[in-house]
Parts: sequence; structure tokens; C-alpha cells
Amino acid sequence: MVEEPRTPPIAQKPLELILARNLLTSITTPAFLVDRTGALLFYNEAAGALLGIPFEELGRMEPEQWTRLFRPFTDGDGDGDGGGEGPVDIETLPLTIALRDGRPAHTTLTIHSAKTGDHEIAASAMPIVGQSEEASGAIVIFWPLDEDRAREVTTGRHEVVK
Amino acid sequence: MRVKIWGARGSVPAPGPEMNRYGGNTSCVEITLSSGETLILDAGTGIRTLGFALSPEMPRINILLTHLHLDHIQGLMFFPPCFRAESTIRIFGPSSPEASLEQRIARYISAPLSPVEVRELPCDVSFLDAPATEWELGGATIRAEAVTHRGPTLGYRITDGDTTVCYLPDHEPALGSSLATLAREWISGYDLAHDVDLLIHDSQYMADEYPAHVGWGHSSIEDTVTFAHRVGAKRTLLFHHDPLHTDGFLDDLHLAAQDAYAALGGDPESIDIARERSEVVVSPSPAAASSGLSADAVAEVPASPTA
Repeated sequence: MVEEPRTPPIAQKPLELILARNLLTSITTPAFLVDRTGALLFYNEAAGALLGIPFEELGRMEPEQWTRLFRPFTDGDGDGDGGGEGPVDIETLPLTIALRDGRPAHTTLTIHSAKTGDHEIAASAMPIVGQSEEASGAIVIFWPLDEDRAREVTTGRHEVVK
Repeated sequence: MRVKIWGARGSVPAPGPEMNRYGGNTSCVEITLSSGETLILDAGTGIRTLGFALSPEMPRINILLTHLHLDHIQGLMFFPPCFRAESTIRIFGPSSPEASLEQRIARYISAPLSPVEVRELPCDVSFLDAPATEWELGGATIRAEAVTHRGPTLGYRITDGDTTVCYLPDHEPALGSSLATLAREWISGYDLAHDVDLLIHDSQYMADEYPAHVGWGHSSIEDTVTFAHRVGAKRTLLFHHDPLHTDGFLDDLHLAAQDAYAALGGDPESIDIARERSEVVVSPSPAAASSGLSADAVAEVPASPTA
């Protein structure tokens, strides 16, 4: 007989997150991977180049930790000039919208690099929905709006930062 | 638990005299539980001969499908119990937002590919999405989870008392990553396979064959034994043989896998290879190391042909 199901403890990430991480590892566009709570699970080498620190030095971070570290600021009028109107309300971040509403979201904002200061970026988030039909996380892809910086992070040709 | 291999071949049946020792039938494994009930893993062409061996009095038959590629369902249409009115058959498989399990299987068991339609089968057959949580079946605890392969694909972990078997016939956990260094929470199939007494795992390619098949959903033997080592499988059965691999080639593949496992510090004797009609009695191994198993904990005995 098929009996009442039990939910076992899950240690392993859902397959869709495993495959998403594999994809991020293989692309040269800066990208984040977060879980359903917004905790940062992984970012790729291109994102590490932009943020000034490789993911391996940080590991998993709760939303309040990574927002404090990378300091996303609003770009006042959204024209990409990094107006720096103030810290982004986490509820308005594309990834929050993607996780909460289950739809893609996009914005421009400023983030902070540990080594190279602030950068204006465009960020697009999309929810990752597996067989459970609930979002298990989201991918956030971002593009530096400074063309030279964008070229550096996607080609791996960086200036030595002292 | 008793595990019997009725088909170990992958992709397409591969009959012929050069395949006689390992067999040419596609994926099908019979598991006899301590309760006496039977679970059938996949319905490749091996299920046809299994069907002849099953007692007509068997009250119900449970089939767990990993996925719906043809080499895992092709035998269904020739499974003798399907054509007995007194048979009760439950088929579990991966869910899909696109169509029900029955509708997807009916694409094969329907014209023009088949002379019969699912609705014409005289048996009492039901099609069920494998639950996303553990469930009980025939006295065993079953856990199904999606794993890395092309298309929606499940792996199964079956626990009967103190004994656990994991079945991952089509699995490419090393796709885009290095299994040797990846944190275990990021390894596809880890939760299904950790500390199992017997791991039945995809091992379709030799190392030199794999680069031409990256992303096809199957593993090289190096990745298979690395996966076995990472999950701490007590014993591993190499499975899903490439249809081009002859008996002699599979002998070499087996030795290469044992060497690769020994290089990781594991017991090479714990790496075996699936042969059609062979039978494995799986019992718990209380003190086995995470990468090896004492030889007497699992005994393999030749099975006499039954069909």
C-alpha cells in the first residue's frame, strides 16, 4: 500500500539549483545564485571579478550579510548613472521580486566592490522553479554599465588592483 | 534484499554473441524485499523475460520508472502481466507539467508504434507520479529525487529494514563540475546514495570516450567511482552498458573502474559490474568503511535462467 508520505531531512540542494550553479560556473557574465530565502549560495568568477572578492573566500551568506557587504544602492532615476539615492530596500531588489512574485525583474543600481569601489550595474533576476512548482531560488545576472569594466569582467582581462 | 539484473544495457538493446556474458537487454532490475514483495526498477526490454518468471499469483506488481527514455520503457508493451486480467500493476514515474505519466507512456503504447493502446490492456494498471517525499511500498521505504540526466529523471533510494539500495542508471553528476572537490550538498544524487549498501550506477563510458559525450546524461567510470567514493557506497554495481561495448570491452572497463577506485583509496573488490541474470543478495554491513565493504557482506551468486 502507498502510505502517508513523510518529509525526510534534505541536505542536498534541489537539482535545479545544482544545474544553475553549473551553468553559472560555465558563463562569463557576472551572476549570483540565491536560495528561496534570498541567501547567497554562489556567484561565479566574473561576479567575483566585479565584486573584488571570489566567492570561495566568503561562502554562503544570509541576505543581510551580502547586502551589507555589496551595498546595493538605488540609481535614483534609473538611467544607470548611479545616483546613489540610498540603500536599496531589499523588497524592491529584482531577486526579491523574482522570489516573491515568481516573475523576472530588472533594475539598475550601484554595488560596492571590496577592491575597486562602486559600480553601476543593470541586474536581471529570474526565479528557478523545479518540479515542486515552487521557486527554490533565483539567478541574478548583472552587467556593469561601464563598458570598460564590463569587458574586463567578462573576458577575464583585469587590471591588477593594488 | 535480493537484487536481480534482467537488463543492464543502455540506450538500445544490443543482442549478439559478443554480448552474451553481460547481456543485451536494456534496463530492468528486480528487487525482492524481505516482505516477499517485488519492486521492478525500470521497464527496459529486460522486463519481458522477468515477466515470464513472475508468479501469475503475484497480487500486485510495482514498477518504478526513472524516466521515459525508450530504453527504460520499451519492454512494458511485452510484459506478460500486462496481458492478464488478474494482474494489478502500479507504475510510478517522474511527474511533468506537460502531461500525465499515463499520457506520456501512451505516446509509446499507441498507434502507429504499438498494436495495442494503454486503454486496451486487460490488466488493472495505474500510473502514479512518484511522490516528492519518502513513501512506503511493499514494506520498503522509497525515496525518489530528480537527478542530472537529459529530461525529467528520477533516482531511487530503497530501504528495507537495515539495508539500502540506490538506483541511478542514467546519471551524469560530474556535468560542469568536479566531483572530487565539490561540496556534497552540490552533488546530484548525493542524498539518494549516501552510505548505501549497494549503489547501482551509470558507467556508460571509458575515460577516453567521455569527452565526446559530455552532456549526454551518462558517466565515465572515473566519475562513477568518484561518486561512489564521495557518497560512501559500500558496494557499487556498474550499470547501463553502452550498446557498443562487447563482453571483452566490459571486462576491461570493470578492471579500469576497480583500478580507479583503488587509486582513490577504496577497495577495488567492492566495484562490480552488472551482468544479465546475475543476482546480488544485499545485507547491511555494520562496520564497513565508507569506501569499501567486506567481501562476505554481499554475495553474488549466478542465477539459473528462468525464461
